[in-house]
Amino acid sequence: MTNAIQVLILGILLGGVYALMASGLTLIFGVMRIVNLAHPIMVIWGAFVAYWLFRLYGLDPLLAMPLAAAFMFGVGIVLYKLVYAKEAASAKYSEMTVLLTFAVALVLDGAASTAFSNTQRVTSPPYATDAFIIGPIYIPTAQLYAGAVSIVLIGALVAFLQFTRMGYAIRATTQNRTAAGLLGVNVAFVSLITFAIGSALAGASGALVSFVFSFFPSKHWEWIAVLMSLVVLGGMGKLVGTVVGAFVLSIIAAFVGTYAGATWSTITFFLALFVILLVRPQGLFGDPIESE
Amino acid sequence: MAELLEVRGVTAGYGNGPSILNATSVTVRPGQIQCIIGPNGAGKSTLLKAICGVLPLREGAVMLEGERIDGLRPDQILRKGICFVPQERALFGRMTVRENLRMGGYIIDDKAEIERRIDDVLVRFPILAERAGQLAATLSGGQQQMLTMARTMIVRPRIVMLDEPSLGLAPKIVEQVYEIIQMLREEGITIVLVEQNALIGLRNADWGVVLDLGKTLFEGPAGEILADPRIQELYLGRKSKAA
Amino acid sequence: MTEQASGSGEIDKVVAARREMNRRLARSRREGRSWGFAIGFLVILALLPLLQFTGNANYVLHMALYTFMYIAMTSAWNIVGGYTGYISLGHNVFFGIGGYFSGMILAGAGVSTIITAPAAGLVAAACGVLVGLITLRVRGPSFIISSIALLMIMRIVFDNWDYVGGSNGLTVPLTSLDVRWAKIPYFYAFLAIAVLTVVASYKIKHSKFGLGLRAVSQDEVKAESAGIDTQTYKVMAFAISAFFVGMCGAVWGEYLTYIRPNIFLIILVAANMVLMAIIGGKGTVTGPIVGTILIVAFNEYMVYEFGASAINILGTGVVMLVTLMFFPHGIVGTLAKKGRLPRFLDWD
Repeated sequence: MTNAIQVLILGILLGGVYALMASGLTLIFGVMRIVNLAHPIMVIWGAFVAYWLFRLYGLDPLLAMPLAAAFMFGVGIVLYKLVYAKEAASAKYSEMTVLLTFAVALVLDGAASTAFSNTQRVTSPPYATDAFIIGPIYIPTAQLYAGAVSIVLIGALVAFLQFTRMGYAIRATTQNRTAAGLLGVNVAFVSLITFAIGSALAGASGALVSFVFSFFPSKHWEWIAVLMSLVVLGGMGKLVGTVVGAFVLSIIAAFVGTYAGATWSTITFFLALFVILLVRPQGLFGDPIESE
Repeated sequence: MAELLEVRGVTAGYGNGPSILNATSVTVRPGQIQCIIGPNGAGKSTLLKAICGVLPLREGAVMLEGERIDGLRPDQILRKGICFVPQERALFGRMTVRENLRMGGYIIDDKAEIERRIDDVLVRFPILAERAGQLAATLSGGQQQMLTMARTMIVRPRIVMLDEPSLGLAPKIVEQVYEIIQMLREEGITIVLVEQNALIGLRNADWGVVLDLGKTLFEGPAGEILADPRIQELYLGRKSKAA
Repeated sequence: MTEQASGSGEIDKVVAARREMNRRLARSRREGRSWGFAIGFLVILALLPLLQFTGNANYVLHMALYTFMYIAMTSAWNIVGGYTGYISLGHNVFFGIGGYFSGMILAGAGVSTIITAPAAGLVAAACGVLVGLITLRVRGPSFIISSIALLMIMRIVFDNWDYVGGSNGLTVPLTSLDVRWAKIPYFYAFLAIAVLTVVASYKIKHSKFGLGLRAVSQDEVKAESAGIDTQTYKVMAFAISAFFVGMCGAVWGEYLTYIRPNIFLIILVAANMVLMAIIGGKGTVTGPIVGTILIVAFNEYMVYEFGASAINILGTGVVMLVTLMFFPHGIVGTLAKKGRLPRFLDWD
């Protein structure tokens, strides 16, 4: 029984991390209708920022997190202006844009591999090997910090979307881009900001992940499928769905991992994707499939 | 009467495609209801999109009271007082009627003022007032059109441009839509509308413009355009007996 | 009041002007195909192994059959990605299915994969039907995601399944032919598969089936309301595509003599298929051929200059990015749009 509670808590904490990772992806899809296949490699870049700041300056990854976020915010702006601005203007989903993100993923992967080599790394602040022990429950500190901070950040994101003017503009653009544009929303700017925020979220989650998992550039391929599954599961573009899906699936995956072996825990996400496609293709919270 | 809006020699098209508008010129005078008719592909919708900044111009200029507005973003043109109601109604289906109206006041900073104007509008549109808490997607086609047009009143524009307001609506609803158009005009708003249903469009307008092949071919008081035998044969589907 | 001069001659002028505008906007078609070129080209290819008599042409033969394989796979991908508009980024699951199926038979019963390739193709096609029935129900982005997820699932399963060798995979015996003739059967096998695939692609494009696929790629809802059974069409296209990719996997397994998840089931294989189709011209018949030749040459150059390192990935990504941003219709597509497509490439 205590084992089950422990697995549950770990699942929740992991869910927080995955939810944060996937939230940027959902946001970008909602506003720009772009499936950003380069999102996971941006998470890895964020992890590298935290890693090097720790290696070179001894900066705690939790403190490096805002820096990683800011760095990726800038990278997002550059990427948007260079690559996506033209496509985003067309306001309609296009496969070509997905391929663009795929190409960007390859470029970012190749750049990271060339610069840092494809070896496994992990940031190791002193608490990375500690654990909180509450009665019989054993929770690794790294997981706890990463999960808790992720959940706080998600809360901040939701508050931003709900209570600020830009958040209002983002929500309106997600629902109906044309209408929002006609009512005075500067959709081009909203797209730019959303992409940058999404990238920043990727960077932040990367910094948090850097001391929980070991990472290397090619790991992003694994995460693509996981994050994408979460986005589809939740209903494309629905932040609530993505977050809920992340927690639910991570909890299930945690149990699967404990009782069936770690390799099978990742498959949970993919199998869930296929089940959802069979049973409810629009995802948990999505609108019924209509033509794009 | 001085011109309010002037479209001068505008050439425009979509993407890298051919030019739909070819050096088109149209003038809009204040306080009028102007109806633009013409066949499919003539450029009627393209003209409206070019004016409101959704489509970039390849040549020419758009002037609002002598000031150039071409090249501005759609949200900037809205702030200048030109409101565009597209064919696809452009409502937020998952927001309520009230929230849609609130969105209509997006460019207004004073939140209290927006609420006052919403209440004002709901008084004039009792059907919408009844459904103020309903999701826009659950309204009927006619009610959605009503909502879209009521929404323009929140921002108190000078010009409202409507792209095929009668599209897909039953005749009785179309009558209601045109009553609302008259209501807008009584508020002092100048109306430019594009209609494929040339008959109903011209009957309810003051001034008619015939657009074909991307150019303004004919122009005049709506009644005269309606009665012109050439127009009747080309666009209203009547064979004229007279030479 | 601005009006033109009156008279019914004016009405005729407007009608005539409209007709002229329609004529200008209509697209033109070319007559006649350059069969001479196609047949001549094939004959030359078929005679290529004769080089083996003049010296060691093993490198040439290897590059040739590798190119033939990707021509077949890219053309097959094109049927789903180009004609039907469903981008599959995990298409090499069928490559893996074909490879393992024939590999197991070869390892167990000693039957060459060249003989079992059609069966492998059918097995892959059957899997294509099963998968397609699930994943083709969703459009656009969800489909792409599911294709990647499928590849990941297969990779993880095969990495951990001892029956197929786990992450070490299968090793199959080397052919008993002398090293001078060793590559030749595979050369002709891949040449035959490539020809088959391209011919099938051509036939599909010019059939009612292909027209239906094109309708699906442009607007699926409208295609359905036009009476096209879009689900069946999509699944069939997927199965046909899987068939050819499966055959390639089967023969490649024997040629390589080992079949491992980290060769057959990595996403870079799918990425290459996609890139070759796009740079050549997605949705055209000759596009995949042109694209494959270019990318294979490019990859060889990259390996020669930089070795097989991460720079390859970077280079592939940059090429894809530039192509998508500036030549989204690929070489064949862009030339066709400008009306400059040479006859020997125009089979659309």
